Amino acid sequence: MRIACPYCGERSLDEFVYSGDATVTRPDAASPTAMEDFVRYSFERTNPPGMHRELWYHSAGCHAWLVVTRGVATHTIASVEVARDVARAASRTSSDPAAPAKDPA
Amino acid sequence: MAEPALVASSALLHSPPINHKSLTVAARETLTMASIGATSGKLDALKAAIQSAYGVALPDKPGRVEGNGIAFVWAGPGQWLAVAERGPSRDLEVELKAALPGLASIVDHSDGRVVMRISGPRARDVLAKGVPIDLDPRAFRPGDVAITHASHIGVILWQLDNAPTYEVALFRSYADSFAHWIEEAAAEFVSARD
Amino acid sequence: MAHPTQPNRLSSGGLVDRTRTLSFTFDGKTYTGHPGDTLASALIANGVMLTGRSFKYHRPRGILTAGSEEPNALVELREGARREPNTKATMAELYGGLSARSQNRWPSLSFDVMSINSLLSPVFVAGFYYKTFMWPSALWEKLYEPAIRRAAGLGRAAETHDPDIYEKATAFADVLVIGGGPAGLIAALAAARSKARVVLVDENASLGGRAVDDASEIDGKPAREWVDAAERELSGLENVRILRRTTAFGSYDGGTFGAIERVSDHLAAAPAGVPRQRVWRIVAKKTVLASGATERPLVFGNNDRPGVMLAGAVRTYINRFGVLPGKRVIVFTNNDYGATTVTDLKRAGAEVVALVDTRPQPSEMTKRLAGEAQTRLISGGVIVGALGRHGVTGAVIRTNSGDEVKLDCDLIAASGGWNPNIQLATHQGAKPVWNTTCHSFLAGVLPHGMSSAGAASGALSLDKALASGAAAGSAAASEAGFATVPVSVPDARAESEAITPLWRVDNPRGKAFVDQQNDVATSDIVLAEREGFRAVEHLKRYTTLGMATDQGRTANVNAIAIMAEITGRSIPETGITMARPPYTPVAVGALAGHHRGKTFKPTRLPPSYKWAKEQGAVFVETGLWLRPSSFPRPGEGDWLDTVKREVNTVRNAVGICDVSTLGKVDVQGTDALAFIEKLYCNGFKTLGVGKARYGCMLREDGMLLDDGTCARLGENHFFITTTTANAVKVVQHMEYCHQWLWPEMDVQITSATEQWAQYAIAGPKSRDLIRRVVDAEFDVSDAGFPYMGVGAITVCGGIKARLFRLSFSGERAYELGVPARFGDALMRRLMEAGKDLGVCAYGTEALGVMRIEKGHISGPELNGTTTPRDVGLGGMVSSKKDFIGSVLGKRPGLVDPQRPALVGFRPVDRSDRLRSGAHFIPRNAMASATVSEGHMTSTAYSPSNGHWIGLGFLKNGANRMGEIVRAYDPVRNGDTLVEVVSPVFVDPEGGRVRG
Repeated sequence: MRIACPYCGERSLDEFVYSGDATVTRPDAASPTAMEDFVRYSFERTNPPGMHRELWYHSAGCHAWLVVTRGVATHTIASVEVARDVARAASRTSSDPAAPAKDPA
Repeated sequence: MAEPALVASSALLHSPPINHKSLTVAARETLTMASIGATSGKLDALKAAIQSAYGVALPDKPGRVEGNGIAFVWAGPGQWLAVAERGPSRDLEVELKAALPGLASIVDHSDGRVVMRISGPRARDVLAKGVPIDLDPRAFRPGDVAITHASHIGVILWQLDNAPTYEVALFRSYADSFAHWIEEAAAEFVSARD
Repeated sequence: MAHPTQPNRLSSGGLVDRTRTLSFTFDGKTYTGHPGDTLASALIANGVMLTGRSFKYHRPRGILTAGSEEPNALVELREGARREPNTKATMAELYGGLSARSQNRWPSLSFDVMSINSLLSPVFVAGFYYKTFMWPSALWEKLYEPAIRRAAGLGRAAETHDPDIYEKATAFADVLVIGGGPAGLIAALAAARSKARVVLVDENASLGGRAVDDASEIDGKPAREWVDAAERELSGLENVRILRRTTAFGSYDGGTFGAIERVSDHLAAAPAGVPRQRVWRIVAKKTVLASGATERPLVFGNNDRPGVMLAGAVRTYINRFGVLPGKRVIVFTNNDYGATTVTDLKRAGAEVVALVDTRPQPSEMTKRLAGEAQTRLISGGVIVGALGRHGVTGAVIRTNSGDEVKLDCDLIAASGGWNPNIQLATHQGAKPVWNTTCHSFLAGVLPHGMSSAGAASGALSLDKALASGAAAGSAAASEAGFATVPVSVPDARAESEAITPLWRVDNPRGKAFVDQQNDVATSDIVLAEREGFRAVEHLKRYTTLGMATDQGRTANVNAIAIMAEITGRSIPETGITMARPPYTPVAVGALAGHHRGKTFKPTRLPPSYKWAKEQGAVFVETGLWLRPSSFPRPGEGDWLDTVKREVNTVRNAVGICDVSTLGKVDVQGTDALAFIEKLYCNGFKTLGVGKARYGCMLREDGMLLDDGTCARLGENHFFITTTTANAVKVVQHMEYCHQWLWPEMDVQITSATEQWAQYAIAGPKSRDLIRRVVDAEFDVSDAGFPYMGVGAITVCGGIKARLFRLSFSGERAYELGVPARFGDALMRRLMEAGKDLGVCAYGTEALGVMRIEKGHISGPELNGTTTPRDVGLGGMVSSKKDFIGSVLGKRPGLVDPQRPALVGFRPVDRSDRLRSGAHFIPRNAMASATVSEGHMTSTAYSPSNGHWIGLGFLKNGANRMGEIVRAYDPVRNGDTLVEVVSPVFVDPEGGRVRG
């Protein structure tokens, strides 16, 4: 598999580290429901076939964290975004309950 | 105390540099280097300061620019590696801290990395044995930079000219392993046959 | 005009160089061949048809094919350290002095004791391992397995290290063409002329494929001339790389292919510096699969006898190698392509005894060919059995009317049709689809970026192969973004591809083999079906069909078809065969390349490595680092003597340890403090500039990630250390926190591990030693530089340095960092300067002993399942802030008092040795896993206590001081009574570190 790093260009899988689901947002630790929220955030995952939004780290390259949208059955990669940009865009609209990027799945 | 000053030692233990008409490999150990990490929101000011101090534009994508005896190598988003000859007393950490106040964090890398220069008609063939990126002239040219690995060793790699000459900056402790690998990779081109 | 020494060598034809003679040995006997031969063609030239014994029944076997699909002619090649078993004689190129041995025979090839297995074949049916050797299981190790291995093993591996070089390389292509036959060549030409970067791989030594094997004509001239011209053109283009002797063995996502280039296998030994094999990773935008097809054997009685050969292979031996495998030949076919063999045989001077065509109404072409070859055409006939044991002497033929005739012959050339080589497409999940025209599986939907041409796409005839290749090459270049240049397709005769399948001969005389390498016969498939193993995957596992080193390339389709016949289903209903990499076997050594033995991974050398080596230090691998574990001196009996001395020196005088390997990360930015607060579970708000603090980072689940110190070098500037093992992981974690969780923070993270040569200088006299190298203007008194102080200083006359007053040993101690290039010199200077103080260097062993004596955690305690509370650091966890792990660390299970907690242990009998890994069980309990209350994580002989000590996790440990438990270690017969004590064994008040 090859991933097109937005900075470095297309690189082989062995330069990257997979690190989980990019659709969950770290909850507020001060919330009264913090424990349930963090359990859900850290451990509860569905694994449907089809496209997933995943976090990858370009560990042997530029050290950028990336959000990769990938078909887990086909390994087709639909998009690769810079995680920092995705996170910033989401935090700007975090008061918007319909904000899709960081809405817990 | 009248003790003599400490003497610098090479990062390479045994592997001699390669000096052959088809390939030369040598360590550049007289460099001063510093990493530059842009302060949030100060990228434009940082670029302007570099432009005015050194007359070059910091690259936004993997690339290397050189001017006034200093080179800036893209080293990740918002990060660069500044490289210059140390000479009698040049210290880029000190110099850049003074030149870029409040615009970037500057960390001394003069000893953290070793730069190896690989040059000659066989350089591309040798690097292909360890570097998993396309170095064909159609894909990679002088001024281009790649952060990748060479024989499982992390490197920042750039091309200087069409000899072709490449340089790789790798962490110092790997220098000996790197030299050992490149010696083995180069063996078929620099053996006694020619 | 017969060849003087090679009876089956033709006087002309083929690509061998008859002007040069090479001598070689097979089973100790000397023969000759020519450059251009394979071992198989040279053996055939010499009339050697018996080349080995089969895997299970030890039946005599010969050469079936002329390619990489060969199931039978497997030999041990070369001698000594270079000996390589299971080498296909059909792929091994001949070189002068080649030495090969047959396999699976004892004591000799012609008389093999184990061939008794053949008489016992009713016993050795499918699944016999499962049925026969079930009970008692104890006999497996002692009796069954050794016996089976002796009887059924293939060749012998070399017993010493392989002396050759193997390497890996990466290549990039706009268009990768797999296969250098007519379709592949013209595809490569079409793509290359458009200026696309082309890589062409072919597994043979020379290009041309079946166009050369069949001595076809292109543009009215021998195909060889067209092939040569194409090769010349391609070789002259800078945008083309031709890899001969290179097999594309695997196809992976993203246009990535694995290929093995046999760089020097055709030579007696690789020239100096030249690898023997090279594994290529080829990354291609577009790929043309022109990998050809593999001929199917016909399944009849004793079809495995030496002298039964695939018809296409017979043509290859005649046309490519100039050898004639038999003088009196029967051609047995169910298709027109197979029938063409009579022409080649006739031209080469063989007597074609008969053309047995399974079709009652053979095509006009077949009739014409038989007429031209003046041979007897037996329409609607089958060979029911080959005659002869060590070589074919004849065949029993059942005619269309049911009569049986016996004809003498010394070679049977058989063709059951062709299977396109679609393996590289199926590697990526392309489902094979049954094609009812060519009666074989074609790749259905090809993987992204791949197209196919020639026989691989089902286009068997040369005219179609050339046309499909030209089209595929042009299209691939165009899709890769190049303006294509039209390629004129040369003229070739349209050939008939007519075939009427025959999957097995009814009522064969003798065993009819389907998979010759794994000795699976039709009777085994019948048995498997009877016992319920009807699914193809069950059939495969039950009979081992297709599971040999040839991956059943000559067997799988026949097997599926036979199962379909038996069960009355269609072939697509019965199943498909999906290949996995590798297409042909690849040596593990080639996959490792440079990375084997000591260069398996790169080695990182700390700054004092050279000095330590000179001192005769013993080194230990910690991760990639090579660190001194101890510095033995003459007269010291064992490692323990050395470690005791090093510990005692630190506790009483001063010692130096290279701790440069610890990870060091520079953190700057206006939000640096806020960021540090998020990372660590303890607070840093009160940390003043010029001070350091110990801290722990957790994972979000509340478990310890790493520990180390964090020094504040400036208001917005921190310098943190990590454990050696976790340096990379911690930087990754920090980048994650910064880029993904808190991107709004102004923080710059820079790894600075390698910039500094850092030495721990520990012991009551450490300040005296420091004073001698630190430049005079810097105050290192306890008032000026107290415990946990940090400062930028200079040493040895102006060299910039950093001094940290930290201690891991429990003694007064400092860490002194200088730019790494001065590391070697500083170590020498310190050792010289500290001579009169009794200084010594100490290694990781003494370091480990002293940290255990102080109860400090390290790798064995930071094992991913422990919390700060578990290791006795619960008190430092902040309850006032949010940090990574702050919420989940409070989960009820993690704060349960019964949870194992870190305590110290000492043996009740002080002379007992303690061992890590021992389980703690109650004194009087029966030893079993259910009564385990925790385990010992670290142990050491403590010179300071004069006995062994240990750290470990014990249920409710903190409240059990003074209790006696058993440290039970069944693996090493350890069963020791230990007392639960404080984990701090030295200076529990901690006065020494402050001086």
